[in-house]
Amino acid sequence: MKNRLKVLRAERDWSQADLADRLEVSRQTINALETGKYDPSLPLAFKIARLFGQSIETIFQDEA
Amino acid sequence: MTVASKFPKFLSNPKFRAMALLTVAGGIVGYGSGSLIGKLEKAGAMRVEGLGWSDLLSGLIAMMLIAMGTLVLVASLSRKTALRVLDPGNGRDATPAQASYYRQQGLVALLAGVMLAAPVLANSVFDPLPFELGAAVMAGIVALFLVQTVGNLILWQRSDELVRQVMSETGAVSFWLLQGALFLWAAGEKLNLLPALSLWDAVAVLMASYLLISTLVSARRGLGG
Repeated sequence: MKNRLKVLRAERDWSQADLADRLEVSRQTINALETGKYDPSLPLAFKIARLFGQSIETIFQDEA
Repeated sequence: MTVASKFPKFLSNPKFRAMALLTVAGGIVGYGSGSLIGKLEKAGAMRVEGLGWSDLLSGLIAMMLIAMGTLVLVASLSRKTALRVLDPGNGRDATPAQASYYRQQGLVALLAGVMLAAPVLANSVFDPLPFELGAAVMAGIVALFLVQTVGNLILWQRSDELVRQVMSETGAVSFWLLQGALFLWAAGEKLNLLPALSLWDAVAVLMASYLLISTLVSARRGLGG
């Protein structure tokens, strides 16, 4: 699954650690999400969507 | 040209520096424990010759766990060094909660190493092992096992979803692979085609496989990136 997390984070000038603090996960989780190695759970995806004020499907796109 | 620019760029990379530190630490621990075991054996305080392959394998894993656990524990005592060593990509000091989480991880690994080393060490130092001493070592292992189990459960609770995912996948892959291997070996043994394994042999293989699978799953999921 592709996502725009890195772009959205860069637009706000946040580091991975800043975003991790806001989402209450580890920095490594943010890195794994941005590199596409890990897809978030639904609760975390909702949390990300709420934080950036966008819908889940504008942040995460199915590659199929 | 500045002095710093004469050095290759990778030397200033925090991940490279952390890896170099861990490599040096591994070398020191490996050399130190190897020479200590050699000296103890020469002095007649320990018997290494005659140890089975599973004793050597579990001894090696135990040493790795003890060294890793001690390193994590020591690094986590300072909020400044904790993230620089354990999460070099972070670039800032650990929060008190992060330092305490790492401390707990270090302690759990250290306890696992001590529990794995204890039966091998007891048999190497005392030959034959007196019943009373064996029972005392066993009681200590059971007590440590209880503490470590509680520690592992608390770690699960404190971990975020990526770590939990890695733990779950490691457990599932390990079970699937090892139950298959165990069944095939047991069938071969029953049919007099393969030599008999002791439970300690099985534990050594299980621990080695679990650690290897855990490393592969962590790398695949980006844990440690």
